[in-house]
Amino acid sequence: MLRSINKSHKTNKSDKSSKAQDIWLYLHFPLLSLETLLPQVPADQAHKPIATVSLEKNIQRVLCCNTQAEAWGVESGLSVSTALALCPELLVLPRKIEQEQQHLQQLALLAYSFSPVVILDNDTGLWLEISGCDKLFKGYNALLQALEKRLVYEAITAVNGIGQNPLAAKLLCQPSFQTQLPKPTEIQHLLMTTDLSRLETSRKQQQSFEQLGLKSLGDLLALSRSALSRRFDAELMNRIAQLNNEKPFTAPRFQPGDSFHDLVQNPQGIFNKESLLFPMKTLLQRLCQYLVARQCHCREIEWHFEPLIGESQQMQIQLSGSQNNWSTLLMLSRLQLDRLELPRSVEQIILHADQFIEAPMAVFNLDLFGDQQAAQQSCELIDSLNARLGIEALSQPVLNQDYLPELASTLATPGKPIKTAANKPLTAPQPLWLLTEPAPVQMRNQQLYWRQPLTIISGPERLCGNWWQAEQQRDYYLACDNRGARYWLFRESANQRWFVHGLFS
Amino acid sequence: MHNNNIASVLTRTDTWRGYSQRLPRSTIATGHSHLDRLLQGGWPVSALSELLPQQPGIGELSLLLPTIKYYADNHQLCVWLDPPYQPYAPTLVAAGIALDKLLIVRSKSPAEWLWAAEQSIRSGALLLAWAKQKPPRYADLRKLQLAAANSNNAAFLFSAPSALDAPSPVALRLELQSLQVNQLLLRVRKMRGTASGEQLQLHLGEASAQRIPFTQLPADRHHGYSSHAVLTLNS
Repeated sequence: MLRSINKSHKTNKSDKSSKAQDIWLYLHFPLLSLETLLPQVPADQAHKPIATVSLEKNIQRVLCCNTQAEAWGVESGLSVSTALALCPELLVLPRKIEQEQQHLQQLALLAYSFSPVVILDNDTGLWLEISGCDKLFKGYNALLQALEKRLVYEAITAVNGIGQNPLAAKLLCQPSFQTQLPKPTEIQHLLMTTDLSRLETSRKQQQSFEQLGLKSLGDLLALSRSALSRRFDAELMNRIAQLNNEKPFTAPRFQPGDSFHDLVQNPQGIFNKESLLFPMKTLLQRLCQYLVARQCHCREIEWHFEPLIGESQQMQIQLSGSQNNWSTLLMLSRLQLDRLELPRSVEQIILHADQFIEAPMAVFNLDLFGDQQAAQQSCELIDSLNARLGIEALSQPVLNQDYLPELASTLATPGKPIKTAANKPLTAPQPLWLLTEPAPVQMRNQQLYWRQPLTIISGPERLCGNWWQAEQQRDYYLACDNRGARYWLFRESANQRWFVHGLFS
Repeated sequence: MHNNNIASVLTRTDTWRGYSQRLPRSTIATGHSHLDRLLQGGWPVSALSELLPQQPGIGELSLLLPTIKYYADNHQLCVWLDPPYQPYAPTLVAAGIALDKLLIVRSKSPAEWLWAAEQSIRSGALLLAWAKQKPPRYADLRKLQLAAANSNNAAFLFSAPSALDAPSPVALRLELQSLQVNQLLLRVRKMRGTASGEQLQLHLGEASAQRIPFTQLPADRHHGYSSHAVLTLNS
């Protein structure tokens, strides 16, 4: 729903003309490498000074650090030895680029619920094109506020910049999160006064800026284009064209992936099932965010619980319907988790989902008769019974096109589409209960006997399965005992033996 | 907040209010007009009912077929918890019941039985539960009765007649006896708001007195022919 509104706005806008003003928002996450690793830091150490480091030209340098470390004078760019000299207690974490990229993907997914145009910037940032997204949030300022709130909830430090094109937005990135949309003239003014040193170019080019006496972007853009092209390379000219909205920004848009795969790591290990539930909840919330972004529901999810040493344990949760609600999924996971034998300590929890169906539109419809709700409730009941008791405890009767009663009526696992075959109705009454195995009937003094003496009321009705198998030729009779209960008996043609096959109830 | 609490208490079916003559009960028609009259409207909704057939096979399940059909037609699930035998699909289809609305659940322990029963009641399904050899405890039944009171559905429990010796928290206890084939004698052993002991004879079909003595059963002639044919082939 949310997505479709956004998309329709977007298409309407581009249909009208491309002259409508784009509003680009650049989100920068200055502490991304630190905040990616923070959840893995033990709780008792989280308040200590922490810094992430990465290898640059054979020297480990500080990439970013928390405020506690800043208070000691640690800052980015310092070598590790200097930082440790300043702050002996500093907890040094090596940067994990892979996890960082995954975190950025998650943030892109989050941003995708604010705008349909999201572009990933390698440099720990995201671009969002937010023009036309204001109606959903009732104004751009409300959108920015909602976005800030969401990022704070995710415990992510973010700063932003707003411009008329992606490059301008990145150049105008402010040291704090702006929640007020600046006027176009303000943006233009800010852009022109931006220091040229913020432009990411080679040192040689920066030097030539200095030699020319160019300080701000306004100075640079004031020069004639032909003069610039003689002095600077094509790359810079390209950028200038993009800054002037003369060339489009051609970067691939973010699209949620085809399958969902996410994990939570806990180096200390999780020792009991109760403590597993919190990281599982986090993962399911991320899954649901993904499902909302893709406008689909999942049909199955898969959990992997991996210990530090030893075999990993997995658990599959199959849904009879489909779901995009994390609390239901968590409830089902919890029920099934009770039956699972886990490794002694779990270090990594992985959630995987790759079976999706399009979200049923009926959910949004005004459902007058409540059929949809009843169906939803039945699906949820089947799922929770399945999770707690196991699929082998559940079955549904199925009617097959066959004449032998045990073949005509079989049991199937629920959730499979049932094909109800229309059989030729029998003239004689049929019972409600079928014995799983026909029970042999004894003969006592010319009287049939099963639990008590039985008397034939009516019959026979011949039922045969395959005519070439004599033992499948049966004559069915209706019998009763002297207390009024009615039974369904048959006599095998081949050997004249009697069996009870069902009870009329 | 306080008003809300009072309102929610007043909407409960088991809140007694001084000026009303009788409890406002909602019911589901049983499909038999005489039985509806006996039960003052039909099977109680938001309550657990206990049926105690004297022995299986006397017609206790056919009594509920109209109710099962009603639920299935409303797209609600009907959960059969630990039925003694396998339901026979052709008969159910003949009664107009959609088979995909039936769910058979087999429990492995009393705890699972109770959990599945409670879960079904709370999820808006029609519950038909069969007590296993060991009858459920009073506290367990009370739990189910409370769950049913909070739901908007009927729930049925089939117990052995020996359970009548023990008290039960259910809203309705109905003893079923068979007088002869297709004739049921229903005896109300407990019903909220009325005295117990009312009886009703119910004809489920025609009571045929026809009996075929064993010796007069038709001989299996078809088989006779085929064995003869085999013989001639051999010779």
